[in-house]
Amino acid sequence: MNTNRLPPWTEDARRLLEASAQELDAATLSRLNRARQAALAQRRPRPARAWFLSAGLASACAMLVAVAVVWHAPESAHMKGGAAPTESAIGAGDLDIVAAEDGLEFYQDLDFYAWLDAQNPDGNG
Amino acid sequence: MVERVDAVAADERTLDQFLKNVERRALRMAELATANREEALDVVQDAMCGFVRHYANKPPAEWTPLFYRVLDNRLNDWHRRRQVRSRWLFSWSRSTDDDEADAIAEAPDANDPGPLLRLAGREAAAALEAALARLPARQRQAFLLRVWEGLDVAATAKAMGCSEGSVKTHLSRALAALRRALEEYA
Repeated sequence: MNTNRLPPWTEDARRLLEASAQELDAATLSRLNRARQAALAQRRPRPARAWFLSAGLASACAMLVAVAVVWHAPESAHMKGGAAPTESAIGAGDLDIVAAEDGLEFYQDLDFYAWLDAQNPDGNG
Repeated sequence: MVERVDAVAADERTLDQFLKNVERRALRMAELATANREEALDVVQDAMCGFVRHYANKPPAEWTPLFYRVLDNRLNDWHRRRQVRSRWLFSWSRSTDDDEADAIAEAPDANDPGPLLRLAGREAAAALEAALARLPARQRQAFLLRVWEGLDVAATAKAMGCSEGSVKTHLSRALAALRRALEEYA
């Protein structure tokens, strides 16, 4: 049989099949529409909303932690009767150590000074 | 920037129109293969997603055989899953082997009104659908793509992932089997 040329009765079959496709109910057509939209949505660039949302949330959490640290540090320093709240609140002493180059060198040799101190417990040199 | 956005929107409209054109036939083909509309809808949605993901950037002229290729793969996956389930739950499901003995019909008489004209309206549609559902999958697919979708032999071969010779063999067997079935029905 030459299948490049189809027998005439297949035209009737084609018409019947086409009619069956045109008779699909509204619910099925709606499902097909949703399926098509879902497929097409894959091509659209993903909205950055989710990324912004998580980044914003992380920033908000970081700010909240920073505010909490600043808020509570002066109270605790004050309660202990330590240094002035402004100094201890942000660890001003630590900042001095970090900022001063001499101080850093001193702290790098701290082990040596500790050993030296152990050699002469009376502190008489 | 605006031109690029316009081009993307135009591409999407072309793709939307293409999918709209094939979706009903695709659903009916999947329904004939699965005998279940819900399953068929899932398979078609899967095929649409797979087609858009992998082939939407190809030239639109190539879309039709590529879409049916994806649909065919999804239907094969569906059949495989079903066979595995059947193996566990029952026993081997009915074989859909294409190599079963299937006589090639003689060329039809051009004056023959054909088996469907002897049936009327809905009866003819039901008979055709039943006969198609009984065909082996490859024969049914060759028939639907050539007769209904109107693909030529080369495009059908591309859609089915086989040679043009195989398409001709499957189609020839499908035509003979359908003719026999419809004549029995009449």
